Amino acid sequence: MTGSGLDAYRTWSTTALTESPKYSVVIPAYNEEWRIVPTIGAIATQMCTLGEPWEMIIADDGSTDTTVELVQELELANLQLLVAEKNGGKGSAVRRGMLRARGDVVLFADADQSTPIEQFRDLEEQIDAGFDVVVGSRAADGAEVESKSFMRKVFSTGLSFIVRNIFRIPVSDTQCGFKMFTADAADRLFRRQLIDEFSFDLEILYLAQKFDMKTAEVPVRWIDAPGSKVEAGKVALEFLRDLAIIRWNDVRGRYKADNHERPGPDAHNPDRPMAV
Amino acid sequence: MNITAATTDDGPLAFVLSGRFDAHEADGFRAAIDPALGATEPHIDIDLSDVEFIDSTALAELVRAMKRCRERSGDLRLLTPSNPVRVILELTRLDAAFTIV
Repeated sequence: MTGSGLDAYRTWSTTALTESPKYSVVIPAYNEEWRIVPTIGAIATQMCTLGEPWEMIIADDGSTDTTVELVQELELANLQLLVAEKNGGKGSAVRRGMLRARGDVVLFADADQSTPIEQFRDLEEQIDAGFDVVVGSRAADGAEVESKSFMRKVFSTGLSFIVRNIFRIPVSDTQCGFKMFTADAADRLFRRQLIDEFSFDLEILYLAQKFDMKTAEVPVRWIDAPGSKVEAGKVALEFLRDLAIIRWNDVRGRYKADNHERPGPDAHNPDRPMAV
Repeated sequence: MNITAATTDDGPLAFVLSGRFDAHEADGFRAAIDPALGATEPHIDIDLSDVEFIDSTALAELVRAMKRCRERSGDLRLLTPSNPVRVILELTRLDAAFTIV
């Protein structure tokens, strides 16, 4: 990034947008006091190089550490902080962030920067090509995966097989925390989302397929960030349970209508805790 | 992350870092830099111009090394941090703690 890129960051950090953002970046955060500030800095500097109006949304998930205070103290002009009164699960945090996003293109990215934000453009190219949903993938040809534990590799391979062959979801990596959506797709999918836990990604991709949305996978560089909160064995069991729940929800017709509303404009006040 | 060291006859010892500096790299960083921290009045430069991301553990490592240098009447300077690293230093307010050149 050049000096002008740094100038763009200075402007973004001090001056609120007067126009609708082209991009929204949603970051769910639960007890991320050790990681959230460097992640915000890295994402903000990179996004400001794109030369388009954009916003960042930190969707707290009822953190009990100082995550919320740290983010508030940054006082970044185009950062919305959504505070949850209690821990509702990663899926609930992402949903609140996605339904608050105003951008034409909306990315959600994990708080640990395990998928570096520099790959934003790679996903956006597929949105430009007409896809509704673009999934960052650690399993697609060309992906670079560093430091992934053996157990996570085993579970990923097994679950991927089930997802592709039994549930017919044509995505080899449903769980990478780096996914991009058109505004319309995000609105339609996250309004219907019912799963609040780890498997919400799977539900979103299931719904995208159900609604005949165009979904692309893009290989990404991914680093198993230190301090990952993913417990592979426990998550795998929950994943299998949630697969059954998703199918049961569908059979019961629970995805036919919206299950959530977009929040009202008064909920933009970052100092006011949001109901979850 | 790659770490390369360079020495000059009269200047400070310089370490050039490149890539992603996170907790995975903390041990390697310590192994590279700790021998230099025991010198009398250690003056060390850390070139961060090619570091794309730095996490909290890495920041803590830099602070640790800087304090060790200053305890021995030396200093640790950060050279031309990349823009992401510069912004992260600012957001964490560590830009005021370091000598940044």
